[in-house]
Amino acid sequence: MEIFLNVIVPVLIIAVIAAIFAFCLSYLGDKLAVDRDARIDDIERNLAGANCGGCGYAGCSQFAEALFKGEAQLSRCNPTSPENKKNIAKILGMSVGESVATVAVVHCAGGNRAEDKYSYQGFGDCQSAELLAGGSKACDYGCMGLCTCVRACPNNCIAICKDTGASKVDRDECISCGACVAACPKKIIGRIPVTAKVYIACSNTTKGKEVAKVCKVGCIACGKCERVCPKGAIALSNNLAAIDYTKCIGCMKCASECPRHCIQPIGDGVRLLEKIMAAKEKAKEKAKEAANAATEKQKQDDENQ
Amino acid sequence: MDYFVGIVSIVISGMLTNNIVLNQSLGICPFLGVSKKTQSAVGMGLAVTFVISVSSCVCWLLYTFVLDLLDIGYLSTIAFILVIASLVQLLDIVLKKLSPSLYGSLGVYLALITTNCAVLGTANSVIAQGLDFFQTLMTGVSIGLGFTIALILMAGIREKQALYDIPRPFVGFPIALVTAGIMAMAFYGFSGLSFT
Repeated sequence: MEIFLNVIVPVLIIAVIAAIFAFCLSYLGDKLAVDRDARIDDIERNLAGANCGGCGYAGCSQFAEALFKGEAQLSRCNPTSPENKKNIAKILGMSVGESVATVAVVHCAGGNRAEDKYSYQGFGDCQSAELLAGGSKACDYGCMGLCTCVRACPNNCIAICKDTGASKVDRDECISCGACVAACPKKIIGRIPVTAKVYIACSNTTKGKEVAKVCKVGCIACGKCERVCPKGAIALSNNLAAIDYTKCIGCMKCASECPRHCIQPIGDGVRLLEKIMAAKEKAKEKAKEAANAATEKQKQDDENQ
Repeated sequence: MDYFVGIVSIVISGMLTNNIVLNQSLGICPFLGVSKKTQSAVGMGLAVTFVISVSSCVCWLLYTFVLDLLDIGYLSTIAFILVIASLVQLLDIVLKKLSPSLYGSLGVYLALITTNCAVLGTANSVIAQGLDFFQTLMTGVSIGLGFTIALILMAGIREKQALYDIPRPFVGFPIALVTAGIMAMAFYGFSGLSFT
């Protein structure tokens, strides 16, 4: 009996207190429920739920609300799959629009192939280097390789490339959240469609002569890419080639013709370009052989005569 | 008059001399977790102040009129956890309805407070000291404000620290902990304040 009083009764009392709280909560929860449109929850369920913040909102929930109010654009979200985007568009009663999946890309391949303006010995951060006479590279649009984007990446998929000394994005891991795009003080990181096969690896908008002075691989605006492109997808603007990805068919002609190698292959384009270059090499050899054969024949003919 | 002086000493001790974070080492988790930006530090601090004040009062009521009367004071911890958890949930519901703007600014912090040991610590210490209801309320408010002060100071320092050239192994939490230690030493200077 004593055990009963000492154990069961206190347990019961706590249980009763808990039950009272639970009852109050559920009652108030019902009574004070905020009328939130069920469609917002539907939208949120269709979003990727990565809470990466790439859209500029605190999380997927806030983004869903902004979408519902018409303040945000669906294309701002990258992790969400195209099917779910279609669902969301259906819920909102609008068309999906051109929301293609993108990846981040560094529009500079200069790195150690670009001249230094001075020998930087500081904090080791692009932002701080940028404060010192506009960066440590002679090119005002060049990657300084001081890793601000590397530290900003939540997915650890951007690193300084060992070959070039400029930063490079691992496109298989990139979630296109835009953290690096915002972090780069030079504003040379951009986003291109996942399907893109080439990208411009230069951001310098100064004249060709100036570029040639400061970098071995900068775009000198020679216009060769513009001329070889069969679809007219490349145009020079501000002394820099720009690709219209809606027109680009990935023929790799621009990449193989660029004298400065600043139209770089990316994704599937890398292998495609290798193939094209190998084929070109072969054709060159054949032409050489043919030329040799021709001269030999000429010689023989001369001897015969 | 004595009572008034007592209240003042409670407020001073809650905010400075017995600062919940820097002197009693409670609530370290949000102190380190939410002190990267001053703005979010203010939000978290106010949310915690609110919850600590209300929960210590409710816990006092529950202890005085239920647990103590029934002679089961030893169950106070489990009962207080119940109170805090349901109170945070209740606040969540009520704020959402009554003040969406406040709810929006507190946002995620409200839910985080459930696991903040400073809240439970305050409730326990209030009961252990045998304070009356008004004193309990003042203790709750001042301890919450003390938490807010510590959090904002820390956030200010960490915002500046982000620009410093810190040795690699110390970047991030190590330097934050060192900073917290030095701040605690500075706050120890307040222990000279006495009203009794």
